[in-house]
Amino acid sequence: MAVAEPGRTAGTVDAGIRWQRPSPRLLLARRIQVGLVTGPAAIGGGLVAGVAGSAALGLGIGLALLVTGLLWERFLARRVAAWGYAERSDDLMVRRGVLIRRQSVIPYGRMQFIDVTAGPVERSLGLATVRMHTAAAASDARIPGLEQAEAAKLRDQLAALGEARAAGL
Amino acid sequence: MTRPPQGGQAGPPALPEDVAGWHRLHPLSPLVRAGRHLVTIGVLVLGLLFANQNQAGGDLVVDLVIVAAVLIAGVVSWLVTRWQVADGVLRIETGLIRRDSRRFPLSQVQAIDVVQTGLARVLGLAELRLRTAGDSAGGRLACLRLPDAERLRERLLSMAGASAAATAGGPAPATAAVGPDRPGPVPGGAPEPERLLFRVDSARLAGAIVLSRAGAVAAIVIAAMASVVALTGQPGTIAPFLPVGFGIVLAVWRQFNGEYGTVVATAPDGLRLRSGLVQTTAETIRPGRVQAVRLVEPLAWRVFGWCRLEVDVAGPRQRRENRAESQRLRALIPVGSRPDAEHMIGELLGTRRQPSRRAPRRAAWKAPLLYRFLAWDLDDRHVAATRGRVCRKTTWVPLEKVQSIRWVQGPVQRRLGLATVRLDVAGKRVSASIQDRDAAEAGAIMATLPDLTRDARTVRRLRRGPAVSGLASES
Repeated sequence: MAVAEPGRTAGTVDAGIRWQRPSPRLLLARRIQVGLVTGPAAIGGGLVAGVAGSAALGLGIGLALLVTGLLWERFLARRVAAWGYAERSDDLMVRRGVLIRRQSVIPYGRMQFIDVTAGPVERSLGLATVRMHTAAAASDARIPGLEQAEAAKLRDQLAALGEARAAGL
Repeated sequence: MTRPPQGGQAGPPALPEDVAGWHRLHPLSPLVRAGRHLVTIGVLVLGLLFANQNQAGGDLVVDLVIVAAVLIAGVVSWLVTRWQVADGVLRIETGLIRRDSRRFPLSQVQAIDVVQTGLARVLGLAELRLRTAGDSAGGRLACLRLPDAERLRERLLSMAGASAAATAGGPAPATAAVGPDRPGPVPGGAPEPERLLFRVDSARLAGAIVLSRAGAVAAIVIAAMASVVALTGQPGTIAPFLPVGFGIVLAVWRQFNGEYGTVVATAPDGLRLRSGLVQTTAETIRPGRVQAVRLVEPLAWRVFGWCRLEVDVAGPRQRRENRAESQRLRALIPVGSRPDAEHMIGELLGTRRQPSRRAPRRAAWKAPLLYRFLAWDLDDRHVAATRGRVCRKTTWVPLEKVQSIRWVQGPVQRRLGLATVRLDVAGKRVSASIQDRDAAEAGAIMATLPDLTRDARTVRRLRRGPAVSGLASES
């Protein structure tokens, strides 16, 4: 699954790690989500401004909201491309973020439980989000946009590894 | 109670009759439990009387009804509550309509506290609180007679140690949880020997609280109110603000009350803490349950060379009656001198090392205030990291307690070639932050630390003895 990494310079921590990527459909899912928010917002905002003020004002505001949505969409591609995870021998690495880059290392033995969730958009595209929880509230390990089969596989795999390496508090 | 030397492979050692059966709480406990509400209601009634003297009669009846209802509810709750210790599990059953049966496996208990509220103290009662990891509230036995509560705590802790050693398996005998260099529990439930580590100085505590943020706020509020009264000559003008002032003063009082007379001692069953002026608390932190240690040095305290040492223990502080408390860590040293703190850190962690690796100079561009304190260090068992703008905070995290490691780089940091590494431990309150390191160094930390924490966990699992106790006994 070697994919070119746009917007990511030679990372300091990335060396020698084989990153797995979320499904390409994650970008589509995110686009739909943005569209679902900005489309109605642009129409509604435009209508309200058009009724209350002039038609030109309404058009302007509607267009402005649409442009905001499009800019957001530009950013989405980079954000989606930034997601990655790597199953290493003792821990799971997850990375994300464009502006603020983050990498988390979660030892398998520290996992308390694993969630697999799928919102309506994700579900309609056959995607799911896998999330690992540790005893620390700050731990941040979420992998969105996995194929549902892959998500289930990852969940079982992680659960088995967690069981094998479980450490107490 | 003697512990069988071969380790209780069939659960905890045989228990005397008086614990294994079902028990009720003390008959006076409804009164004590309602006491808090009664005080609140009393204050409300007084406030109402003060506010509108004319129609106080009707309110009084309503209040009396409320008081009676609270008491009756308490009595019913007492009637349906019972507890039992069997097979290494404490069970508490309660609830009239919705029965609630809770099991607390003693091997999972993080700490056991004996708490006495003011009223309970007058009546010679005490509340036993079990702290477990996780977000759910722990168990409460409110109230028992004080000697009973202390005996039960001792017994539960020794059983907890035994069952933890039994479930850990391996060659370690049950007595390993106590440690070869320490005397085991004295037969017959006699008080175990303990070694005093710290005793807080009351005058210094008062001074420290006045110099803390809460104390300063309270002082300013009181001064403002007093000056308003003095200037206008009408006490009535500040009446609307009285509840606010009262709340602030109460918070300060709580802190003083909670930390007054703090005594820390080590004993075979863990670290014992006792504190309190009116409401006294006795806590035992079991060996190896300390998730992190934090040294806090506020600006005003540094002038006097004072500091505060806190420990983080997994699990919530289940004091529903004061939420503010749950946000704070347990202070082993509410206020003390640097040597006090260093001595305690040495006892807790077996190291006195202060973070010495400073952040690179260019970090000052990103965090001018933070920069002077930024430092970290690593030895074979702990990571220490310092940060803080005005108030210097140093956190020690045992490697074996690290839950996850995060590497973060913001846009400014990227420009400057810096990165931050955070180590999370259980709970939501503490994480050691190795902030603004050179990107290459952060990368190296990220590459090596996961292996170091793994090794620390493995070592810990192999010798589940005093080495993991967090109380340095063998070093």
